[in-house]
Amino acid sequence: MSSGQPFTRRDFVRAFGLAAAGLAGSGGLAGPERLLAMTGSAAGDPEVPNEQIARILKDLFGDRPIRSGNRSNISLDMPAVAEDGRVVPVVIESFLPMTPDRYVRAIHLIVDFNPDPHLAAFHLTPALGQVSIQTRIKMKRTTWVRAILETSTGEVWADYARVNVTLNGCG
Amino acid sequence: MRSEVGDARIRLPDRIARGDTIVVNSIISHPMDTGFFRTAEGVPIPAWFIRDVVVTYGGEEIARFEWTSGISRDPVVSFMLTADKEAPLTMVWTDNKGATFTQTANIAFAAA
Repeated sequence: MSSGQPFTRRDFVRAFGLAAAGLAGSGGLAGPERLLAMTGSAAGDPEVPNEQIARILKDLFGDRPIRSGNRSNISLDMPAVAEDGRVVPVVIESFLPMTPDRYVRAIHLIVDFNPDPHLAAFHLTPALGQVSIQTRIKMKRTTWVRAILETSTGEVWADYARVNVTLNGCG
Repeated sequence: MRSEVGDARIRLPDRIARGDTIVVNSIISHPMDTGFFRTAEGVPIPAWFIRDVVVTYGGEEIARFEWTSGISRDPVVSFMLTADKEAPLTMVWTDNKGATFTQTANIAFAAA
């Protein structure tokens, strides 16, 4: 669990995923279920739902591992329920250093089931001193949102939020 | 009074000391049309959105944002910045029709 923070929905999802993987390992499940449990970069990370998202991730990060589970490296905070998909607040923070030697070079915001999933890219420099970005986005329907950052040294870190959308904000 | 497309504001803290890492808030008036909606008469509303935001501080580019119509109407964005010099902070928003909108706030240090 991340740095003594209270037990979050995300931790729950991860723990549940591990339990499911354990079940698969015990031989209780076989076939497709087992393959499914092995895809994705880590237990608890959202599945890559389709070719379009797979291609976006591949184009941005190539074969580099997308690591997650460290909320001081990147945190994505969004409401669990968005009543109005036209205006959904997003807060992205990172406590990674912002020095000329090593800094957060870019943050990508990807909304899996939006018409244009690669919603925004924020290109940053050490002059910012610290990473904390807030904005408001549109969401079409309930989906995972991915915030993925890239450091100047080539590391890739992600955090994910599952947002339930009541009113379609994309038409 | 209704604001015109492109009206923009940048908000800085009231007092800034040299070396502070401050929060910069910004908002610009823009419809951010996705191109997926129609008017009540059924006429398609073409896509019209901010696609690029460039932030400079003392003439140096310190951040650049690439957006789509997935950013909400009247886009807000806030970010942090180390105020290490007295200089203008300028943001330039460019939309998909090629219009640019510029706003500047001066970073000045409070007297000790």
